Amino acid sequence: MNSPWIKYSAYFVLIVLIQGLVIQNIQINEYLNPMIYPVMILLLPFELNVIATLLVALILGLSVDAFGNGFGLNASATLVIAYLRPSLLKLIKPRDGYDTTLLPTIHDMGKLWFLSYATSLLFIHHLWFFTVEIFRFDLFFLILTKTLSSVVFSLLLIVLFQYIFYKPSKK
Amino acid sequence: MQNLFQFLKKFRNFLLFIILQIFVLGLFINSKDFHRSQMTNTSSSLVGWFIEKRYNITKHFNLSAANDSLVAANAALKEQLPDSFYPLQGSIFYVNDTLKKQQFQYIPATVINSSNNKINNYYTLNQGSAQGIEIGMGVISDNGVIGQIIDVSEYYSIVMTVLSDDIKVNVKLAKNNEYWLLNWNGKDSEIGQIEDVKRDVPLTVGDRVITRGGDTQFPEGIAVGTIDEIVSEDGDQTISLNIKLDVNYNAVYHVYVVKNLMRQQQLEIEERILSEDQ
Repeated sequence: MNSPWIKYSAYFVLIVLIQGLVIQNIQINEYLNPMIYPVMILLLPFELNVIATLLVALILGLSVDAFGNGFGLNASATLVIAYLRPSLLKLIKPRDGYDTTLLPTIHDMGKLWFLSYATSLLFIHHLWFFTVEIFRFDLFFLILTKTLSSVVFSLLLIVLFQYIFYKPSKK
Repeated sequence: MQNLFQFLKKFRNFLLFIILQIFVLGLFINSKDFHRSQMTNTSSSLVGWFIEKRYNITKHFNLSAANDSLVAANAALKEQLPDSFYPLQGSIFYVNDTLKKQQFQYIPATVINSSNNKINNYYTLNQGSAQGIEIGMGVISDNGVIGQIIDVSEYYSIVMTVLSDDIKVNVKLAKNNEYWLLNWNGKDSEIGQIEDVKRDVPLTVGDRVITRGGDTQFPEGIAVGTIDEIVSEDGDQTISLNIKLDVNYNAVYHVYVVKNLMRQQQLEIEERILSEDQ
């Protein structure tokens, strides 16, 4: 019974190190600030309740924050998607509900479903992140450009991450 | 009472979310306020260890660029050696300098972590309080001004670079000593801004801008950049300038932390004037 917890902890450490040591240093220009760590929240099991998701998000966000400066920013944005995830899952539920033996990955749920799910959560995450970081209303278009360009990049990384580290669940 | 419990039960998710959100936003705002000493960032030892290990791997990728800049600096310094001067007069002289006293010393350091796509950008340096670095010191490189130390631990320190919304550098025009504050608007990492420039100052594109000195952080005359564009809007009393920065902040490896030996004296005397005014 312990195995899912060990698996998730291993993913957690892996994701935090990839984000902190590799992704954070991809600095192509001012408008691209890719992030891979939201994948940890995206791929949690369907039935996990909000409180547990929030706690995972808090620890994840603060760990990522420790690798940058401006402590608390990543945690704040991650808490927002952790809180909204169950509502979003309810909103885009397939006709006969979720199969709890599956995970919300691209392999289990299909490309179209996963892309709409990941894009909406990533957009909320990045928009919140850049709004709080910049926090100036005269720079609204800068916030929007940064959000849109970074979402595309992050989405690519997250899809790639799944093809490398995840296998389809057994049916 | 029953209703209260009902209410709490119904909204517990939302309440927990709000409480955690206030907590982390509090941390974030606190970390922006770099005058307070308590901060958690990449100067902490565990993360510092990871970053140092990564730097030990990736430093080799940048060797040629780093070498080029060091060679250029060496050449400039060699020009100033006694060997490179032709003696015009063979007389013997003796130096006992009573006119000048050393004011600035430089602590060399290496950038081991950096960002340039945020609204406030930081470098992590591999030297800390053990080497004499203190909060508030200025940082320069061979090419020009870099930023200001905002946090130190024993072996690491954090620099807020000129590419930050929260930092303003005292600069002046090299040709006539007109002085302003240099700011950055978060958009282009090659261009800084100067605002509220009076219209009657004679300016041309290409004029040199250097540090003003006198703010305890930088010596006078460190390179900042050149005027790239003069932005004037009809009806405004003042104009603003876009400054092409000399330093490429994406490729800085070796920096010098400026230690001002007279900083304490200057701060004390300025403090005294301020307290008398009140």
